[in-house]
Amino acid sequence: MHRTVRTLFTLLALIALGAAAAQGVTIGVLTPLTGGAAGTGQAQRAGFELALEEINAAGGVLGAPLAIVIEDTQANPAVGLAAFEKLMTEDGVEFIAGGFSSGVTLALVESFRTFQPIVMWIGGAVSGIGIDGFDGIEELIGQEDWFFHVHPWDYHNVEAATAFVADTGSQSVALLHEDSAFGGPGSAGAQALIEGAGLTVPLREAFTSTLLGGTGDFRAAIAKAAATDADLLYWIGYDSDVVPLTSQVRELNYNPQYIFGAPPGWPTEFAAAPEAQCVTGLIGFLPNLPTPEAAAFTTAYQAKFGAEPDNYFSALAYANLWAYADAINAAGTTDQGAVIAELEAGTFRSPIGDWSFEPSVVGKHQGFTTDLWLVFQYQDGVREIVWPIEKATAPLVSCR
Amino acid sequence: MNPAAKRRTVPWDVLGLLLLIAVALFTPELLRALFDRASVSYLSIAINALSLAVLALSWDMLARTGQLSLAHAAFYGAGAYTTALMLRHLELPMWLGIPAGGVVAVLFALLLGSLTLRLRAIYFAIATLAFAEVLKSVAHHAPTSFAGGNAGMNVAPLFRPTFVAGEMERWEVAFLRNESYFYVYAGLLVLTVLVSIALQRSRLRHAFTAIRTNEDVAGVMGVRPARVKLLAFMLSAAGVGMLGAVEAHRIGSVLPDQSFAVATTVLALVTPIFGGLYTTLGPIVGALGLSSIQELLRRTFDDGYLIGYGVVLVLTILFMPRGVVGTLGNAWRKRGAGKPRAKRTSDDATEKPGGEA
Amino acid sequence: MIDPTLVLQALVSGVLAAGLYALVSVGLALAIGVIGIVNFAHGEFFMVGAFFAYQLFVSFGIDPVVSLFLVAPALGLIGALIYASTIRFVLKAPELNQMLLTFGLGIILQNLALLVWGGDPRTISGIAYRSIGFQIGPISVGLVPLASFVISLALVLGLYWMLARTATGRAMRAVAQNRIGAALVGLEVDRVYLVAFALSALLAGIGGVMIAVIQSPTPTIGLAFTLKAFAIVVVAGLGNIRGVLFASLFVAIAESMVATLVPNGDTLRNAVFFAIIFVVLVWRSRRVA
Repeated sequence: MHRTVRTLFTLLALIALGAAAAQGVTIGVLTPLTGGAAGTGQAQRAGFELALEEINAAGGVLGAPLAIVIEDTQANPAVGLAAFEKLMTEDGVEFIAGGFSSGVTLALVESFRTFQPIVMWIGGAVSGIGIDGFDGIEELIGQEDWFFHVHPWDYHNVEAATAFVADTGSQSVALLHEDSAFGGPGSAGAQALIEGAGLTVPLREAFTSTLLGGTGDFRAAIAKAAATDADLLYWIGYDSDVVPLTSQVRELNYNPQYIFGAPPGWPTEFAAAPEAQCVTGLIGFLPNLPTPEAAAFTTAYQAKFGAEPDNYFSALAYANLWAYADAINAAGTTDQGAVIAELEAGTFRSPIGDWSFEPSVVGKHQGFTTDLWLVFQYQDGVREIVWPIEKATAPLVSCR
Repeated sequence: MNPAAKRRTVPWDVLGLLLLIAVALFTPELLRALFDRASVSYLSIAINALSLAVLALSWDMLARTGQLSLAHAAFYGAGAYTTALMLRHLELPMWLGIPAGGVVAVLFALLLGSLTLRLRAIYFAIATLAFAEVLKSVAHHAPTSFAGGNAGMNVAPLFRPTFVAGEMERWEVAFLRNESYFYVYAGLLVLTVLVSIALQRSRLRHAFTAIRTNEDVAGVMGVRPARVKLLAFMLSAAGVGMLGAVEAHRIGSVLPDQSFAVATTVLALVTPIFGGLYTTLGPIVGALGLSSIQELLRRTFDDGYLIGYGVVLVLTILFMPRGVVGTLGNAWRKRGAGKPRAKRTSDDATEKPGGEA
Repeated sequence: MIDPTLVLQALVSGVLAAGLYALVSVGLALAIGVIGIVNFAHGEFFMVGAFFAYQLFVSFGIDPVVSLFLVAPALGLIGALIYASTIRFVLKAPELNQMLLTFGLGIILQNLALLVWGGDPRTISGIAYRSIGFQIGPISVGLVPLASFVISLALVLGLYWMLARTATGRAMRAVAQNRIGAALVGLEVDRVYLVAFALSALLAGIGGVMIAVIQSPTPTIGLAFTLKAFAIVVVAGLGNIRGVLFASLFVAIAESMVATLVPNGDTLRNAVFFAIIFVVLVWRSRRVA
């Protein structure tokens, strides 16, 4: 008994030593790999793995191969917290990447503040700005030197979406939104912005997403939108809402000029579905973005995973890891101050194009903002980019 | 086996409780001595295991009366929202939210329990599930200025140890925080165990068993099923309400979908079955066992570690139909049956699953 | 103020939605209601059925209307295998053991699906009928909801007939009422359970195909339907197959009305549904006593 215990501890000590002895830089990744949010987490993992492969093929970081440790948060705050503390104290990482779900991010805030590693965070878009009596991620840790936020904040998303809505020339907008921290708080802001642009919003109506306990019958909400006969149907929901929502709009014979959705992702294969025709959507990255970076990323992704990078979180994760590699290499050290200086000063590569960190409303380091967003339209099975005009691959067409 | 013999046997339950207290007291420092900074991570995992243990043992106390609750997410959420609301609207010491969370959960249990008194088996289970779903919706649709609506509410941490540069390392701050939370969770578990042991030792235990076995007969025997069932309901909700409150502080927010998650209810039920029903030890062993197994699996396999978790559940119930404690306890009793010390381990084992107090 | 067209549409949508509810509930009604197996993995049977329909479409271009006849028996077979390898051994144990066992099975199935199909929603893309609605005046009648209504009606009546009139059905009811007695009169109890459980999984397969048509299959798609199906079966009354239809109608119409008439009413659907379930169960228990 005694000997077994001693052997066990020796073994543990050896493992700990081994980890410490490894020369290379290790980056800890937190993302949901199981449960309802697993799709986004898997997309992130693919982006990280692709970037890792390329970074190490290009010589690694500080002359040694870069390593990543991925921990599953299950999109559960308590699990995410334990996973973060494992990365910090067992794996000894100094850099954190990944992230999804504002509930998990809120749970990490205290521990982030304690350990103060550099956190370059893709997810957790709930800024808190504009919500009375609620502090969001940007308000809580946006000003910290060590916090870098990659994904646009919720108000960036709304800004881009409403700019597109105004550009369509529609007169009236029916707004349907799912009712969690993702689609709820932003919808009031969206209405204000749309009305500010001189359009009317005859309906703003909440629904329960299929991701959060709904059974996907949106007919009541859609019938109300149809009754307003608004020119444009703007909906905020999750990717699993796309199919029921668009098909029920058709079934109920509602023919707005534009059906515009802003989910975090779009279901694979939806492009080929008949109800996809003329549907428009907000997205952070598209494989057919006409830039060399996008083409290179898409080609490499296809070669490695045998599928197109459908979920834009792959592209963000890829950008996230490369930014770390480039900044640490530029600093020539893992010293936190030096790396932060490089992250603040540098311009980084991404499938979306060059990007850098700038201040946001209260945050110090914001990566992508309103400019990230593209609007595509399904046109005969292809996702054509239709907005902003300078990136467009095809003109926007009306559904009517 | 008879009550007279029971009184002379070693009080394993009390000894076990003392052992639990002793182990809990030394666990943080021991982990720190053994694992240095990694103790922060292990404490975090231990806290999650303790949380599951409180949930499971509380659920089991109600199950002893034959009431299979699917409402424990409601008690958990009620506790979480209570402390968050107090923090937001009242100028009171923060820690008051924890007992208040317990009280509010008890009140909901009283309400739910008295409405569902005449419901049995799956009718009861579904009614309690429905209650929890309705309560989730109430939290969601209460005025945003009052309860945060779809964005939820921030909840301040109970502990915020300060970092003194030069005198300590950053992980030591995290250690202090986790140590404090560990003691709060352990305290909650000790409290729950105390209640459970008190129930098992009192005459109520037989009332619980009688009601579970046959409520009508129990009534004839002089047990007052309504009172006993309500009491069990309230005791069961109290710990879970406090747990929800503490956890809200630790994870920093309440949200309708997060605080009233069906997963909470399911874990509350699965864990005691796994560990051994109708005992004090079973749910605790279940919680520690399931937490360790899941942690080991996720550290071993990159993908699909939850498949292994499912396999463990399936194999356990196939080969240990009375749960870990029930089945091992039975085997132990059988093995020791011929030996003179046998009576020490035997407890009142007249009921089917479980057996050990 | 209230648009009568909207109310009428809400009524039609509600009636048709009852079809889907009844469809996802019949299998469970057989498992719990008739033979008394509380199957926590029932939702995963929907999920597996949905993914099978998806895969048959992607790999072989088989339309769900056709693949229904392949997926349902496949799920029946899986149900039989699961019964024979695991559930059989816990039949005599307390029903809580069945819950843990089937919960474990559910976790296994869900995470296997995550490995095989990933977490991103999938889509059966090439079907036009998903979006078809027949316009009758200002009212729209969806083809898919109509079809699921007809199918569920057929299944409920078929199951009712089977239980009442066929030897297998009578055996099931006999076993459910008194297992030992049934064995004594010469019924092969184990075989009856096997058939019933397989049939329940087969019915879940049909529900799964329907879910795959109207939604995007994901590994976690089963839960929302299962919670509601459990509630419907229990409110209908254990063993009351026709009651499933009436319970579905009642809750679905109420849901649809509230969702339409109340601002942001869609977010109240689950509250309305479960409030009705709660009130009915409590009210009934008080009235009886």
